[in-house]
Amino acid sequence: MKRSCVLFLSVLLMLSAASMGFAAYPEKTIQGYIMWGAGGGTDNFARAITPLVEKHLGGSIVLQNKVGASGALATTLVVNSAGDGYSLLYGAENPANYRVLGLSPLSFHDLEPITVAVEGAVVICVNPETPYKTMKDLVEAAKESKKIRMATSGVGGLPYVAGAMMKNIHGTDFNYIQFDGDGPGATAVMGGHADVMPLALSTSVEYIRAGRLRGLAVLATKRVPQLPDLPCITEVYPEYAQYLPWGPFYGVFVKKGTPADVVAKLSDAFTKAMAEPRFEEYVRNSGGFKNGSTGAEAVKFLEKFESTASWLIFNAGGAKKSPAEFGIPEPRK
Amino acid sequence: MAQNLQYFLIPFLQPEMMLLIWVGVFAGIWVGAIPGLSVTMAASLLISFTFSWDINSALALICGVFVGGVYGGAITAILINIPGAPAAIATAMDGYPLAQMGEAGKAIGLCTTVSVFASFVGIVVLAVAAPVIANFSLKFAPRDFFLLAVMGLLLIGSIGGGDPIKGITAGAVGVLLSMVGMDPSTGELRYTFGNLYLMAGISFVTAMIGLFGVSEALTQFRSSGMKSPKQNLDRIIPSWATFLKYLPLSLRSALLGVFIGALPGTGGDVAALLAYDQAKRSTKHPSRPFGKGALEGIIAPETANKGAIGGAFIPMLTLGIPGDAVTAIIIGALFIHGLKPGPMLMIETPHLFWMIVSCLSIASVALMVLGLISVKPFAKIIEIPKEIVMPVVIILSVIGTYAIQNSVVDIFYMIGFGIIGYFLRLYGYATGPMVLGLILGPMLDANYRRTMQGAENQILPFLQGFVTSPISLFLTLSIVFLLFSQTATYRRWRGLE
Repeated sequence: MKRSCVLFLSVLLMLSAASMGFAAYPEKTIQGYIMWGAGGGTDNFARAITPLVEKHLGGSIVLQNKVGASGALATTLVVNSAGDGYSLLYGAENPANYRVLGLSPLSFHDLEPITVAVEGAVVICVNPETPYKTMKDLVEAAKESKKIRMATSGVGGLPYVAGAMMKNIHGTDFNYIQFDGDGPGATAVMGGHADVMPLALSTSVEYIRAGRLRGLAVLATKRVPQLPDLPCITEVYPEYAQYLPWGPFYGVFVKKGTPADVVAKLSDAFTKAMAEPRFEEYVRNSGGFKNGSTGAEAVKFLEKFESTASWLIFNAGGAKKSPAEFGIPEPRK
Repeated sequence: MAQNLQYFLIPFLQPEMMLLIWVGVFAGIWVGAIPGLSVTMAASLLISFTFSWDINSALALICGVFVGGVYGGAITAILINIPGAPAAIATAMDGYPLAQMGEAGKAIGLCTTVSVFASFVGIVVLAVAAPVIANFSLKFAPRDFFLLAVMGLLLIGSIGGGDPIKGITAGAVGVLLSMVGMDPSTGELRYTFGNLYLMAGISFVTAMIGLFGVSEALTQFRSSGMKSPKQNLDRIIPSWATFLKYLPLSLRSALLGVFIGALPGTGGDVAALLAYDQAKRSTKHPSRPFGKGALEGIIAPETANKGAIGGAFIPMLTLGIPGDAVTAIIIGALFIHGLKPGPMLMIETPHLFWMIVSCLSIASVALMVLGLISVKPFAKIIEIPKEIVMPVVIILSVIGTYAIQNSVVDIFYMIGFGIIGYFLRLYGYATGPMVLGLILGPMLDANYRRTMQGAENQILPFLQGFVTSPISLFLTLSIVFLLFSQTATYRRWRGLE
């Protein structure tokens, strides 16, 4: 009797300790790794949402920028972490292309999305002094000559993929010039050192409003509220619909295999933070759209993006390896 | 006009903002002085820290840290030969020899005074000519950035020690090391041997801490038993005569700094290096030879990097284009606080411009006071026996390196560079050119490739660009002149020899 009583009590104690352990997440400081540098879009997103998340999570998240190899460095760190929910990855779309670009064997399949928080749209922008007034002007001119200079952020980046889309549909080819990112590229187009650049709406919206850049079309199936006069690409060329929706996004991820209740708790905290007016205002001002998907919905979103982007890069000749090697399905036409 | 004045007075009427600027400058001096801790890092931490604050208060604090931080970099450069930030590399060249002669107080005092002056030059240009300069800075093509990088590399002649072959070798190794990692244009991996940490490239800040700080400490151990120099702390604040004597150089370097700072993507580090080179070439009779404690060698880089602060705000406030890494973060802060940084910022929120001008002005005054107060305690530090100071330098180097991005691998790099630096010095190679190569390498590489791509990889159109664009022509001719000015013919003609 005495022995079973002790046994019962100790089991009870263990159970309560175990449940306390779960209930206590986060019981220590969480590390947040930002895959791009200070001042960039990913960094801004991370720093805008984290203070709000901390409030709902009841723990603190220490943010640090781990820049390198298009974010593969930060991704590797998180994938190599303990998988206990104490290492978060604040990232953009890049891991979808690591494998085809030969940068890293990792991809979104090694991560568990906490949320795909914000989506953006891409606008085809030109220098206002160029003669291209509409998307048709640009496409026709590009078909005739290969001398139009398109600024990109390097092979596999968003502008490159948008260029690949145009190549697949119209057979156009540009003279690509690589810059250090969206911002420096936009600066170069404004200075006339490149003619055209597909730019994230967040980077370009203020320049377009001020007339420093001319927007030709937004790569989306409907117009964006930030620039209501700007036609969407499917109004001009309906054939783009096969690749859309496609665009930049920012999300938060943990290592695959992180306990489900931890993931749920994090997702819950991020969902609450995204609902705050302060965050919604930030998203609106920065030219983005709230996505906010979690769980299976987020996984589906990531798979669709991976399929579109990696096949476009492959068909444009920018890939080291075929997406088929990794079992990435070709997008449905 | 009256309205602008009203905006300008915002920080004066809010004691809280006033206080935050002073706190910012004080904190900035320390952040800047500790190698590895950078203003960029501090500013991005402050964004989270000030998240729930009013935007004005947040900006006041960040402006304070910015001004204090750029100044702080010079303190450690002068005292222990570790530039607290890349913008203070050139300062170490002459500042450290001065400190070794017991003139640390004089060096820091002069540095403080001219810094405040240059900071105001930057602010005035920002207030008066921002839109004009911003539009002009947009005209700088990749080719021009390439030329600026070449001009920077010519500095090897100034800091490479006596032997040109050794200087060029060290510089070339630096450029080569800067190539490690991802190719900026194709994403191809270079010299990485499949190692993820090499893929991220070699940070020039780790190299700088190793090559300057640790290698200096190791060299000092070799000559152990040497007494720490007794510091002369009588005349810390330079006399009016001294200030006026160096006024032309200060003004020239500050204006150069404003302009380089206003170019998108180049900041105080490039400005300071170019200004040092320019001062070395144009000063006929320096107070002491350059590299051996010339006052001109402190004035030029320090005025240039302070001028670059106001400069960096020029494209940021007028066009929403960051002039350097810190202003890039401030743009992010504006977004997070619900503003829309861009070309419309000055039209839609005009108070912001004048308020920042005002914050920077107050910060400069604060710098004058706080800087001069702390000269004596700082200078006293290096009177501590070397056996105690040098191990502390090494510990500080390790902590600072780790702080850059919490990476243990960086510490290994830093120690590796320290040991390489030790042997370089032992065999009469200067370490400065290697750091220079690491800083300028990526700028050289990426902009050369952009120019080539713009010319469709044709050599003729590529070369044509150097003479058809007025800015490129001017820069090309400047480089040709700089090279020619070193020839015996020219020096005899000008009576320099």
